[in-house]
Amino acid sequence: MEFSVERQNFSARDQHREIKHWGLIDYEPSLCIMCEKCVHVCNEVIGDDAIEVKFGGYSSTIIPKNSEMLDCTFCGECIAVCPVGALTSSGFRYRANAWELSRIPSTCAHCSAGCPLEYETRHSSINGADEIFRVKNNFEFSSLCGAGRFGFDFNNRTKSNESAFNKAVEALKNAKAIRFSSMITNEEAHILQILKEKLGVKLFNEDARLFGEFMKSYSSVSGKLHHSGSLDAIKQSDAVIVIGSRIATDNPGVRYALTTASKHNGAKIVYAHPMEDALMQNVMTQMMKYEVGTEEGVMALLAHEILKDVDLDESERAFFDELDFGYLCAETNIGEEELSFMSKSFTRAKKRTLIIGNDLIAHERALNIAKLAALIEKYSDFSFVVVPRDVNTLGVSLINTLNPDEKIENIVGYNAQGDFVISSLEGADLSVPALNQQEGTFVNIDNRVLPANVALDYEGYTLNDIAQALGIHKKETFEYTQELNKKAGFKAVAFDNLENFLSPMGEDDRGYLLDEVACEANGVLEEIDDLPEFNGTIIYQCDPVLQFNNYTSKAKQLPSENFLRGSAQFSVAARISDGDMVEISFGATKIQRKFKLDDELKGTVALNPTFDISVDASRYRFEKSKIVRVM
Amino acid sequence: MHNEHVQEHFNNRNVTEIDSNYYMVDIAPYPTDGWGKFKRVLKRALRGELFVGLWVVLREMIRFDIHTVKYPEEKMPIGPRYRAVHEMKRLWESDTERCIGCGLCEKICISNCIRIDTKLDENSRKEVSEYSINLGRCIFCGYCAEVCPELAITHGGEYENASDQREHFLTFGDMLTPLDQMKAGTQVEFEGFGAITPHEDERVKKTPLAY
Repeated sequence: MEFSVERQNFSARDQHREIKHWGLIDYEPSLCIMCEKCVHVCNEVIGDDAIEVKFGGYSSTIIPKNSEMLDCTFCGECIAVCPVGALTSSGFRYRANAWELSRIPSTCAHCSAGCPLEYETRHSSINGADEIFRVKNNFEFSSLCGAGRFGFDFNNRTKSNESAFNKAVEALKNAKAIRFSSMITNEEAHILQILKEKLGVKLFNEDARLFGEFMKSYSSVSGKLHHSGSLDAIKQSDAVIVIGSRIATDNPGVRYALTTASKHNGAKIVYAHPMEDALMQNVMTQMMKYEVGTEEGVMALLAHEILKDVDLDESERAFFDELDFGYLCAETNIGEEELSFMSKSFTRAKKRTLIIGNDLIAHERALNIAKLAALIEKYSDFSFVVVPRDVNTLGVSLINTLNPDEKIENIVGYNAQGDFVISSLEGADLSVPALNQQEGTFVNIDNRVLPANVALDYEGYTLNDIAQALGIHKKETFEYTQELNKKAGFKAVAFDNLENFLSPMGEDDRGYLLDEVACEANGVLEEIDDLPEFNGTIIYQCDPVLQFNNYTSKAKQLPSENFLRGSAQFSVAARISDGDMVEISFGATKIQRKFKLDDELKGTVALNPTFDISVDASRYRFEKSKIVRVM
Repeated sequence: MHNEHVQEHFNNRNVTEIDSNYYMVDIAPYPTDGWGKFKRVLKRALRGELFVGLWVVLREMIRFDIHTVKYPEEKMPIGPRYRAVHEMKRLWESDTERCIGCGLCEKICISNCIRIDTKLDENSRKEVSEYSINLGRCIFCGYCAEVCPELAITHGGEYENASDQREHFLTFGDMLTPLDQMKAGTQVEFEGFGAITPHEDERVKKTPLAY
């Protein structure tokens, strides 16, 4: 009007753009402005490479790459980056108005990456109890996997009553041992440690105990308590070795850091594992496939290759001189040319990282492996990252003095099996709040102490109430935060003084980093043991994408496909076919699962999910198993 | 510059201008001393006003012009702006419900008695899956109707909501105009606050460059 344009004579016909339903993600093309942020984050940060732009002028859209349906790990990062809400979470869509949600910054409680996130809560429906409606993250500087984003409803809805509480106090008084899982805050672990000293009980937590022993052995060579690396170090490195972990599902945070390193720095990534992983295919530059069980030999070969031109101690040099290369190469199935190829590709690298996974920690020869890793870190420019198995494995290993698990009477289980079970899961004798219902801290893979906040209220008793009944007087659980084990590097910072945000420049201001602690370096390398052989039908304890533990399996949005997945070769070896119900026996465990043929897998190792069962963390993740078809 | 022909219409509510039948009541000054008060008492007692009233009753009785409303059988008409139990309106064009599930009524409700659950329906539209008003808490303030952008929730004339318990819930289906009423074209529009003014069409300006 002001420009004397009274009418316009042109128009563009509005196109019919159908809303696409891609499982957990909905895409509405009519809102899409084709900024391509989703494509960028999917390919350059996450590494799924699952969506692309379909070019075509006005009719450009985002489409799944090479398939009709979206086939990805459903991290939902594309939802987070979408500036116009064209990509949305189908589970959240139209359930609540965004402005009504209250945001609670916290830390993801599913794996040891400890990603920052915000729980968004609101009253629900007619009864009005609060519920988490969605999870958001600061996508500029951190990523979140699908378990964190969609698996938020693991809160405990069971209320506890006084009689159960009294029974729990009684059970603890008579207990010989407390068995607990690493899905626990530092403060609770500290309470358990106090209980141990007061009641004289044993503490069982195999996962943290093995991790602690691994790190102790590492310290005996490196002379310091904590590993040097972090997720940020991985992001910035240009040469990475990942060994002993199916890292994409074990710890998505590490995977995203690897993707970032690969795409931004052109990092050379060596992925050493007995099984290929389709999710790592885009990222890794060299697959180093070794035989199951020969991790010690592989580490020796790697250490030798990396340290061959380094000035070592006499005894250490002697160790390498005595190595029987013919035997090691033959048994591990790693050729010398593979190692020299690795060295060659690493020559120009400035920042290198060695990532060690849970296969090595739960290995029979873990202690020697730890020493070899420490040696690499000590004498080369490699920074070193150990991937803890559970969310707070690292914290528990620093706070608690743990005993080897044994089958005795009167065990109280805290989120674990026992004669009396205190748990935030179903079937507990006394219900306690889950990790999104309590204040506390975790120690993540970066050795950072991270605060977690109360997203949802819990009506009932906590571990602190039990401790009070047993004569340990602290009003609130978070009052223990400043009392955590100083000898392990914890600082005397009160819970309320812990920050929980990423700065506008992306610096991590959450919690604090553990202080470095010097240790006595008197460890001596042991000779490499005979490498074991694994034949027959081997299963690998490995969760599918988006699943980690009993809490993620509770989450309604996450797919809970608990199939035994194996290759065609495996199905022939085990004499089973796709869709069969099979009974898998390994160790003392017997479980029934459906077998599913997976085209992406090769070899005679099948993947057995563990998120819906409780698995003995003390055992090596590859298991010789007997697989029988049942009707 | 195009706006000169559009005049602002408001209902003129200044009663003194409209109706000249209004007049000031002539009130004599009140007595202040004892003698004056005594005179007033005598005057009132002996005036026979009582019989005036009795005569009126007798007159009306003889006329059989009885004004008593036999309540449960007979009801007084309710003013259009009376705020009683809520109603959910349908669209005149398509008979579908007007409510778009925006949740503003829930948000504005000062006695916190509205709860709404929405979800994505099979046509990828927002659908109200649960809607309830707790009449035990509702104070009938009318904010929900006022804030509703679609004139979907309104107050009706149904004031008989006695209940044997304090909590008395009203759900979406209860409030929605029945379809047969819609077919018959008898859905009553609310004329209270927030309703469309009768001459709304004239006040609406077209968007420039209207498609």
